[in-house]
Order: sequence, then structure tokens, then C-alpha cells
Amino acid sequence: METPVAVKPKIAFFDFTSCEGCQLTVVDSLADHIELLSVVEIVQFREAMSERGEDYQIAFIEGSCTRPSDEPRLKAIREQADIVVALGACAHLGGINSIRNRQPLQDVRAYVYGEEAELFETYPARPISAVIDVDVSIPGCPINPREFVQTVKMLLQGRQPEPPDYPLCIECKSLENVCVYLRGKTCLGPITRAGCDAICPAYGDGCEGCRGIISNPNYEAMKAVLDWHGLDMAEVEAKTTMFLTYQTMNMDEKKENGHGH
Amino acid sequence: MRRTLVSEVVQSGSIFTPIPARIVSTEQLTEHEKRFVIALPEGLALHHSPGQFLMVSVFGVGEAPISISSSPSRSNGSFELCIRRVGDLTSAIHQLERGDIIGVRGPFGRGFPVERLRGKDLIFVAGGLGLAPLRSLIDEVLDERGNYGLLTVLYGTRSPDNILFKKELADWEKRRDMTLSITVDQPDESWFGEVGFVTSLFDDLYPNPRNAVAVVVGPPVMYSGVIKRLRSLNIPEGNIWLSFERRMKCGVGKCGHCQLNHIYTCRMGPSFAYSEVKDLEEAF
Amino acid sequence: MDFKIMPKSALPDWVKKLTILYRVVAPVPKHGQIVFDEITDPSTLTMLYPQSVLPPKKYLFPQHEVMLNYKLDGSWFEANIESEPTVVLGIHTCDLHAVKLFDRIFSQGYADQHYQARRDDIFLVSIECLTPCTDESFCRSMGTLSATSVFDLHLIDLGEDYAIEIGSDRGESLLNGFKNVFNATSTDEERVNDRLKDKWAEFPYRLDFDVTELSGLLAENFSSEYWDELGEICLACGQCTQVCPTCYCFDITDERSLTGEIGQRTRTWDSCQIDMFAEVAGGHNFRKSRAARQRHRFMRKGKYQMDAYGLVGCVGCGRCAEACLVGITPVKTFNAIHKRQLEKEEA
Repeated sequence: METPVAVKPKIAFFDFTSCEGCQLTVVDSLADHIELLSVVEIVQFREAMSERGEDYQIAFIEGSCTRPSDEPRLKAIREQADIVVALGACAHLGGINSIRNRQPLQDVRAYVYGEEAELFETYPARPISAVIDVDVSIPGCPINPREFVQTVKMLLQGRQPEPPDYPLCIECKSLENVCVYLRGKTCLGPITRAGCDAICPAYGDGCEGCRGIISNPNYEAMKAVLDWHGLDMAEVEAKTTMFLTYQTMNMDEKKENGHGH
Repeated sequence: MRRTLVSEVVQSGSIFTPIPARIVSTEQLTEHEKRFVIALPEGLALHHSPGQFLMVSVFGVGEAPISISSSPSRSNGSFELCIRRVGDLTSAIHQLERGDIIGVRGPFGRGFPVERLRGKDLIFVAGGLGLAPLRSLIDEVLDERGNYGLLTVLYGTRSPDNILFKKELADWEKRRDMTLSITVDQPDESWFGEVGFVTSLFDDLYPNPRNAVAVVVGPPVMYSGVIKRLRSLNIPEGNIWLSFERRMKCGVGKCGHCQLNHIYTCRMGPSFAYSEVKDLEEAF
Repeated sequence: MDFKIMPKSALPDWVKKLTILYRVVAPVPKHGQIVFDEITDPSTLTMLYPQSVLPPKKYLFPQHEVMLNYKLDGSWFEANIESEPTVVLGIHTCDLHAVKLFDRIFSQGYADQHYQARRDDIFLVSIECLTPCTDESFCRSMGTLSATSVFDLHLIDLGEDYAIEIGSDRGESLLNGFKNVFNATSTDEERVNDRLKDKWAEFPYRLDFDVTELSGLLAENFSSEYWDELGEICLACGQCTQVCPTCYCFDITDERSLTGEIGQRTRTWDSCQIDMFAEVAGGHNFRKSRAARQRHRFMRKGKYQMDAYGLVGCVGCGRCAEACLVGITPVKTFNAIHKRQLEKEEA
């Protein structure tokens, strides 16, 4: 039989540019699944404890890479950890932070920091996979607690967790939610990865794509649907890039270079 | 009389319930392929025909269809599987050792038409892992050699490192009652044999089309080229047999994954006469 | 025809009585839609309803189903057959036809005992549709606007009363001991006949050809460019297959407990519209394009099921048409293929 990665693996949590909401979800998940604490040892988790250990096997990283000094820190974590997990949309996709990549960085910096802008280092926001190898991603903004527990479980059992690669509509429909489009709103469910229990549509809001896009999406058809439902070009752009600026800008660049589909 | 595995599965209350079977021995055949000898519980018989498959479970990981690589003639309470490590499940199987338990249900599907091969000149064409199910048929023929005509086995694989069942291939090569040709398309310094795809082995083949039956098993990309060569040798479409690999979740014609146009590969196949599937666009 | 009469006013009492003995599921309003759900209070019952979001197939073949529990060392494993005596109340005749197809699919070859157990425990109490339930339904074209079998009881709305057709002894047992059920008189029979006769005019034919031609039509148009056009606009979101009463494809996955001693195997609805549905372990995908996937879906509905099970695979409920965000519907698709076929023949 397979052996788990270690008898009682040490795990650590790290945060980069993020709201730390995913780590709060982790705290909640651990409270609900106290049994997890009997099979792992948490050595570093700023959100929840003050001790710090540098000896760990699994690193959970929340947040995106947004400045040069993030890189050596990420690389050091990669160096130490056997398994690196991107925790949530910022680490997984670049997330909300990447919206700024659409504007000149000078302007963004001046807007946020005013006259002291020059004192703060920054560059375009990226998912951590742009800097280091990532073994597993837990998508979502914030992450889904059930999926977090499931992922930890699978890692401890030596299995490779894979987030679902089918559209949210599948999950949403099987729950018999009212289609958000029938409520007169728009939704990225048809192209977004499922796995969140369709929480936004269940409460009447459209999916914003925080879990990332499925493989092989029909982007053009999605844009057409948004257009039919009253979104102008700028709004379609905003809707489809809220969490995905990094991916879509890359796509545009690829297209310009003639590598796009 | 011994009960069959499949009747035991049905009687368990669910056709989806595997029966635990014990790994008797394992052997690493290549970097990615491993041979497993597996014993059923006392009193159970597999009772399969060559070309059929089993749904194999690793408890806690999942289940996948695996073709049986030993022949019925040599399955005396145990049988063999040759498994390539490609996904979560097959990686898990590769980590198992002698004495570990796996789950099996089956055998399922339609195997090769053994009855229709009697008295015929046989051309077996294997590509890569396709040799595993064909080995079941080859041994069946060799064990009742007198019942069949000429036997030719053509085997193509990527590189010398990928060659499966090396010891048996060496035995087959020595036999006078069969012809074995092997080719690789990526040779290394150690290789002095044929180089090229399996189709290149057809150059020296002159079968009697009125008495020849071909059985072809390999990856999807291999079929069209091989069929073309066999047809150019005037082997009738009904005498060319193929075995198809498809995604399968249930093995019993329900889950829909293996559907090939209107046909459930797991029930009607996995072996088909070319004449049955040649007009089905999703076949190749 | 063997039937009984029940005053409409007595229905809540009858249902109340059923809820004591059985789980009763029926169409109920939820956030402005209709869903089949368990009812305990008959006042929430609505027998005249627009099509439910999901068909009642979920009670025969649930979205998620644990099939097997086991110990990881293989020393113990047990099939998990779950069923509960359930009355499905108010099922439309289109959905009955879908159950008929399911019965064949799950019993052919090796029977699916999980389905069988639930099927044996279910009472189907259907209702005759007197007007189209949605703009997208096309039951008349598919021959599913009435049903003569499969149901245990079948209700026909006569205004003040329901006529109740008895489909089985099990169905009749549901009426046992209930006072407000009467034998039909010849006047009642006339009322039923009038009702059944008059209703047909309410339902338009929506296919431009007879359904018996559908299988052959699709066979001839496997290579139609129309599928590519569908592939262009299809989002591959899978809603069409989720809501379809005749879709039954599934995935099977395993999960184990945290400490890794026990595990379970679960069956979940799957969809042929998903990118990797037909992908094998080596990476080859036998239905990679959206066009091929949509074609496969319509071929199943219009041809393959007929070939394999002798029943048409689409029952005309219109759910997929309601759900589709880009307007792909069976009526449009089948009619478009038919139109092109005619053009081809003329040319």
C-alpha cells in the first residue's frame, strides 16, 4: 500500500499579496475538522499562532507575487517544502491583484501611495506558479472549506488532488438553482471550474470566475452570451478578467505573437 | 464445480462490487510497465476468453479497465495483468506488492473470436501495450497449436527499452511453428533489429488471403496504417479483428463513457471485426 | 379503461395519508421555479405546473450515490443499495416515457441492482397534461403526450374531479382504505373521453416531419456541417444533459477516510459535453471537439437509443431548450437537419 508523505507531516502557511481570507477559511475548516490536527503538525501559521518553525514538508501559500522581494521568499519556501500548494485565487491565478496589470504601473502606484509612491516596490501581479513550481492548487476566492479538507486528506494519502475541470453549470444545475441569467444577471458559470457548490448562484449572484477557467472553454460564445445580456465590450472585458487578468493578458499576448487559437 | 468470478459479483448484490484478489507476484517489465500475477479467492474461477478485460480496483483510489494478459489455458486459479503507469489508479497499482489486495470484477466484454480462428493462418499485430491482450491469445494458440494454421506475430514498439515480455519473446523467436518480427521506431546502440513502425514489418508478409485472419491491438494511431496494409494483402474486412481502448467507468454498458457511435465498446467490444466498425466515424 | 373518480377537494387528504406511509415527492415551487421535492404538507402541492428544473429521474438515479463501502485492506466491502418506498406524484407523461427507457437501459445485460432496488420501491402517480407546460415542450411531436403504461396510477383532471387510471396492483393499493374514491360511472367515462379528445388541439406539432423518420434522418446526416455550427456556439456547459430525463451517463470516484482505513465509491452524474468525457488514460480524446460532442448528444437522443433499446431517446420535455444559454434546442436542430436534407435531395 502507498505510504503517506510522513508519519505526521509538518505543514506551514504563508501569505503574500492577499486579503488573508483563504487562511481564515483554513482556520474555520480546522475548527470544523479538528481531526486534521491529529494527523498534521502546523509549524507556521501567522494567522492563527505565534510560533514559527522552518522545518516543514507541505507549504500552503496564499497571495500573489507582486514585487521583486516576493521572489526570493517564494523560492526559499519551494526549496524547503516537498509539496507546495497554491491556496486560493491570488496564488492560483494572480487573482484580483492582477487587475492593476491593465494600467501603467506608475499610475497605479501613484494612485495608491500618492507622493510616497517611489518608496514602494511593485511590479505586475502574477500567480505563484509564474515564479516557482506548484504541485497542487486549491482554487477559489475564498477557497471552499470542503475542498481544502479534501485536498489535505489526499496529500496525506499520497494522492494527487485535481480540482474539477468541468463547468460550474453542471454543479449548479444538479442543485436546481435558479439560473442567474433568468434573474437578469450575468454569470461565468459556463466556462468556470466547478467545485464551489455553486455558492454564488445559489445566493442569486453570477459567477465571477474566481476558480479559473476550464480547459478548452468556448470563450467567444461566452462573450456573445454576455453581450446578449446587455454587457457592453468594456463590461464583458471587466467581467471576464476580474480574476483572470493575468491569464487573459497572456492569451492576448500569445495571439499577437501568432500563437493563439 | 468452481463458481465464476462474474457470478460471484452479481450475487454480491451489485454488479459494481469488486471481489478481492491477492497479488501473488510482480515483475517490472519496463520503466512504465509491470506484470502482476493475481490469485482469485479459493473456489473462484476467472473463466475468461482472450481479449476480455477486468475492472480493477485499488481500494481508496479508484477503478479502471485492464485487459487480461494471460491465456485461459494457463489461468489455473491465477491470472496476469500487464499494467502501464499512466494515471492516478495505475500509479497506485504499481506501488502494490506481493500479498496486497486489489478488487476485480469481470471478465467483461467480447474477446477475440477464438472459435473463428481455428484452422486459419493467423497474423497478430501488436503495437506497444497492445501486446498484453494479444499475449493472452498467442498463448492460447500455442497451447493448442495443432488447431491453427501458420502463426505470425508482428510487434512494434517505441524503443528497445519498451519491449514487453522479453523472455517470452525470446522463446517465441526460437519456435519453429511461429514467426515473430519486432521493430522499434527509436533504436538505441544496443538495437540490431528492424527499425520503423509496425507497418514496416509487412514488407515480408505474403499470407494466403483466403485463409488468413488478422488480430490487431495497439494505440489508436496505429490502426488505420495497419488496416491499410492488411487490406492491400486482400485480407477480407470481416477477417481483420481489432481491439479498442476507451474510457470506461462501469464495464457493463451503463456509464456511457466508452460509447463509439451507438456501440458500447465494453459490451459489444472491445474486439470488433473491421467490417463492423469501418463506417463508424468515432471508431478511429 | 379501468379507473376511479376522486373529487379534487379530497386530494390533499389522500396525499396526507400517503405521506404517513411513504416518502412523497411532488412538484413544488422554489424561488419561482418548480422542483420535485419531498412534501409533508399537501397544501404546497401543485398538480398544474411548468416543467420542473430537473426531472424526477433524480429519485431513480440520484445526482450522487454511494455504491460501495469498504475497508482499504480489502477485508470488508459491502454494496450500498439504498431505496425507500417513495410515491412520485404528478409526474408528466414525457417523464414516464423516460422512465420506460431507463428501465430498459438499467436492466439490459448486467442489471444495475442499485437502480432496480429504487425502481421497485417507487410508485409513479402521473398526471395527464391538458395544455403545453412550456413553450419549449414538444411532446406531441415525440409521441409522449400520453402514456398507457409505466405509471402505477394516472390522474386526469376533469374539473371538479380527478379520474384515476389504475396502472398496477401496487398503484391500486395506494387507494386502499381511502373513502373519497368512487367507481367511475358511464358519465365519468364520457367526461374522460371528451377531455382526452379535446386536449390534442392544444398541442402543436413542432417537428416538421414524423418522429419515425428521425433515426434515419440523423443516420444520413452524421457528417452534416450543422454540427460544426452547433460546436461554434455551444458553451459545453453541460446543462442540457443535467436536465435531460433520458441522460444517465455517470462517473465513479473513490474517497477514503482521513486515517485511511475505510473508503467509499460514489457514482455521480456525468456529461458527454465535458471536454474529457471520452479521453483515455494515454491522452487520446475520441470526442474532442464541441461539434462532435453536440452531435453525439443529438445522435443519442434521436438515433442511438432507438438502435440499442427500441425507444426514442428524446421525450420532448423541452428542459434542455429552456436551459440552453445559446438557444440550441432539439426542435431547431432536428428541423434544421431535416431542412438541409430536403435541400440536398432537391439539388
